[in-house]
Amino acid sequence: MHIPDGFLSTPVWATLDVVSAPAVAWVARRAQRDTQDHRIPLLGVMGAFVFAAQMVNFPVGPGTSGHLVGGALLTVVLGPAAASLVLTAILVLQALIFQDGGVLALGANVFNMALAGVAAAYLSYRLWGQSSRSGAIFAAGALSVMTSACFALGQLLISGVPMTGGVVWASLGLFVVSALMEGAITVAAVRAIERLNPAWVSGPQPASSRTVAGVGLASLLLVVLGTLIASVAPDGIQRLTGQGLDSAAWSQRTIAGVGGLALIFAACYLGGKLISRRRSA
Amino acid sequence: MHHLVIDRWSRGSSPLHRRDPRAKLAALLVFLIALSTTPPAAQAAFAAYAALLVIAANRARLPILGLAGRAALVLPFSATFALLTWWSGDSLRALALAEKSFLSGMAALLLVATTPLTGWTAALESWRVPRMLILVIQFVYRYLFVIAEQAQRMRWAALCRGSRLGGFRLAAGLVGVLFAQSWQRADGIYHAMLARGFRGRFVPAAPSPFRAADALFLSACLAGCVAIRMLLQA
Repeated sequence: MHIPDGFLSTPVWATLDVVSAPAVAWVARRAQRDTQDHRIPLLGVMGAFVFAAQMVNFPVGPGTSGHLVGGALLTVVLGPAAASLVLTAILVLQALIFQDGGVLALGANVFNMALAGVAAAYLSYRLWGQSSRSGAIFAAGALSVMTSACFALGQLLISGVPMTGGVVWASLGLFVVSALMEGAITVAAVRAIERLNPAWVSGPQPASSRTVAGVGLASLLLVVLGTLIASVAPDGIQRLTGQGLDSAAWSQRTIAGVGGLALIFAACYLGGKLISRRRSA
Repeated sequence: MHHLVIDRWSRGSSPLHRRDPRAKLAALLVFLIALSTTPPAAQAAFAAYAALLVIAANRARLPILGLAGRAALVLPFSATFALLTWWSGDSLRALALAEKSFLSGMAALLLVATTPLTGWTAALESWRVPRMLILVIQFVYRYLFVIAEQAQRMRWAALCRGSRLGGFRLAAGLVGVLFAQSWQRADGIYHAMLARGFRGRFVPAAPSPFRAADALFLSACLAGCVAIRMLLQA
């Protein structure tokens, strides 16, 4: 779900641009560190591959078909930093050349798909990869699509794009269907790739850091849920913080909300890290 | 589908094509920010923004209808939301949603239709966008059509062999083989690049200086956008 320009309110797109720019810089540095020279063309070609693979129709049920979105597949094959970088490159090209997603909304789209989507895929793969690989890959595909789509929906709602409750529920239902489809397609694609050469797919990381992955994934999903609840029922949050219904203060509210969610996320992540360190010590 | 029509457009030689990519990118951002912050009630402003784009397209000697047709790719998405907004009773806002997304798409298109990919990626690089990201953008664009065409050929080949149109496993196999071929192609590309002396970055042909005309163009765009934004309030 690529958000075009004109849909997000200024505080929302500006905040997400400000958040995404340093995150992409960090991801690029990580990808550069992890990547040997010969992988530079590989990252580009994999981006082109995802573009092309999105054209392949997967029939699901009578008369319907889906296609690969590819975030989870890239994460499983290239690792999270490189996958984020490749998806960001794809989003830049889509925004400028294919009119798919806006330029000012690029920060939002990068955040939803290249950062949050990849994080969800990576954390699920890491968390469940040891116990059941197919299950982990399925969860990676499904959760990455679900996370991206829910964030996009939340941002549209926070920006004040009017949607009735029915529309919101219908879109959530649609998201669940496409998330399940992406999970199934990702598993099938990874299996097909592994049949050709098992070395192409990186195995899940060692199990020592499963706690971090679990806490990270849980906090990410909490943030997704929080964003949705905050955007569907901003009045409730407002009552909670004891502010009046002041429409001029809503931009502050948005920023405060995003900041609060980021804090919760950071706290959960650090807590998880501490726990896992204590366990391994 | 060997090349996008944008590729052909971007090799033109109009005054707009000759402007420095940095100036055009900055002008695009100014335009988009002005457009995005315009309130829905200021319909005259939207007409003025459109006029600005038409003038620019005219100066660049680009076909307006062709540009508008490509920019209309955003409309299915924004029209859906515009309809929803319409139903909830806010017709002015619905109109503004469609107008904003269409005009933004058109403006971005105008940038890439007057600037080759190497131009705007060089501008991004001079703005400290990570080099790794720039490299990946260039590679993705370079191999986009090569690999898309390969996917198309594989689909035809499968159809010629009488496979049922579809089949989940067939599609998965197609993606797997496409992946394998892409991977091997990347290996080949890397070795070819090494043989040609690749040292980790693409060297742009000649870094062009930022001329007075570029500064003039940027200030004209800035003045135009600010004037429309400030003067044409509802």
